[in-house]
Amino acid sequence: MPESMSISVNGQSQVPPGFRFHPTEEELLQYYLKKKVSNERIDLDVIRDVDLNKLEPWDIQEKCKIGTTPQNDWYFFSHKDKKYPTGTRTNRATAAGFWKATGRDKVIYSNCRRIGMRKTLVFYKGRAPHGLKSDWIMHEYRLDDNTNDNNVSTVMGENSTEEGWVVCRIFKKKNHHKTLDSPISSSITGEMRNHQMFDSCNEGALEQILQYMGRSCKEENEANITNTSRFLQPINTAGFGNNNITGYHDRFLKLPSLESPNSTSTTYQSMNADLLTDSEATMNGSNQCHGSSTTSSEPNNQLVYQMESSLSNWVALDRLVASQLNGQTEASRQLSCFSDPTITYCNDDDHDDHDHDHDLQIPNVRSSSSSSNKSYHATHHYNSEIDLWTFARSSSSLSSSDPLCHVSNSPI
Amino acid sequence: MGDHNNVNLPPGFRFYPTDEELVVHFLHRKASLLPCHPDVIPDLDLYPYDPWDLTGKALEEGNQWYFFSRKTQNERVTNNGYWKAMGIEEAVLSSSGRRVGTKKYLVFYLGESPSGIKTNWIMHEYHLSDSASSSSSRSSSKGRSTKKIDYSKWVVCRVYERDEDDDGTELSCLDEVFLSLDDLDEISLPN
Repeated sequence: MPESMSISVNGQSQVPPGFRFHPTEEELLQYYLKKKVSNERIDLDVIRDVDLNKLEPWDIQEKCKIGTTPQNDWYFFSHKDKKYPTGTRTNRATAAGFWKATGRDKVIYSNCRRIGMRKTLVFYKGRAPHGLKSDWIMHEYRLDDNTNDNNVSTVMGENSTEEGWVVCRIFKKKNHHKTLDSPISSSITGEMRNHQMFDSCNEGALEQILQYMGRSCKEENEANITNTSRFLQPINTAGFGNNNITGYHDRFLKLPSLESPNSTSTTYQSMNADLLTDSEATMNGSNQCHGSSTTSSEPNNQLVYQMESSLSNWVALDRLVASQLNGQTEASRQLSCFSDPTITYCNDDDHDDHDHDHDLQIPNVRSSSSSSNKSYHATHHYNSEIDLWTFARSSSSLSSSDPLCHVSNSPI
Repeated sequence: MGDHNNVNLPPGFRFYPTDEELVVHFLHRKASLLPCHPDVIPDLDLYPYDPWDLTGKALEEGNQWYFFSRKTQNERVTNNGYWKAMGIEEAVLSSSGRRVGTKKYLVFYLGESPSGIKTNWIMHEYHLSDSASSSSSRSSSKGRSTKKIDYSKWVVCRVYERDEDDDGTELSCLDEVFLSLDDLDEISLPN
């Protein structure tokens, strides 16, 4: 009887009906991976070696088949090669895509003893950072490196054991009714997906968190639109006709996507030059915008320079915007200064004269990097709602303790 | 953990039959008096066991218990309660799409019918469909009517206590949150 029920070694696995390879995490680590690492023979060749960089998930599915019965998950050994000399993450790229780690590593215990770690990865089709998330998930198990317990090994899922064998399980995520085609669509359908997540896990607390996330994102989105229109008001009242406004729209619409930082920055610079010319002309003739508009006074210079230096790239810019979106009250107060000169841009008690506002505004407009901050809002408004949504969402992931958060409204 | 006394498999293999396997491989062979291979599911006949007493009597795997039983028209009564049909029936289809059986859902109630207290214990009761049995009986030369009685006599049951834990093949809720946060990273921080 046993011979007909056992699994033949040479690839042709034969499992008796009703039986599936469904190892516990403990079995995977303590039995299979331990044997693998110590070069012990494993009785039956149920877990095969896979070069993760050479096989797509759907190929693994074929290669790691056990028997002929349908499977929901597949197991294999993989040898972790050295990560790239630069960067902190191991890149597990295949021909069609890449595996990207997500979340924190989970400690695997056996009888209250720590035996290993589990990393969760998602397969993205395409190339980083523009991959399309798939439903393929991988759990990568590694044995604990007992020698350095003091190491903080859970920080963003990387630890000292970067080399050696790991045992992996891949499976397709359930409860995912449709594939998300692009990052943009995924941001749009974020709330829908949250609802799907409610289906897959019935934890009340989590549901609340997610609902809150969804709601706050929406609120931020709406609030941002309000702010933007408020920001645009002074330009309008400062002498631009509707045609001019339309001209601005066109100019903003011609902007390249935010994903190409180089071309964007140059375009922004030229655009800001235009903006500056227009602003100067209108502000000189405007009742609201009195005082010098081209030079900045001492204290504000500092602020501007600080912003310039910190706004050197789009990431920093994103953060600044996100942080503004985070504190809606603050942001709207800041932006409202454009329509109401009596409100100072900074809460600086030593400089309470109204020219102060313009001193700050105009350098903002002039210097390409920091003015991006300002024109950014406008751009945002006309680019599409998608961007608004995107950045509104990104704000939720940034902590309010971000050093850039208070740059614009703290006294120097 | 598992009670597959006569199955010699490496660690990690467990009895996780599909509905089709339960019906076609195990129930059908049992009803046809063919040797079950592997013979892992015990026959508890008209058992009086409460679900929590199944350990050691039924085939236990991953908090699920499997056993053959005799079909009854009445409610199954145990020492401390009874199984009540939920009124849900599903067709069990073969991989070729043919209907091979029926899956019925039952809930365990503590006490006496009909005033018992509902529990979280669930039973899946698998029946061979008539077509499956009749087609098989035709293939055997012996008297068809007697065979048919045999076919309808047996059911195979799976009992488990319902809870919301995951079996590890699904993402945890926390993982889901991280996954959704990854989207934000991808979009807002192109570098």
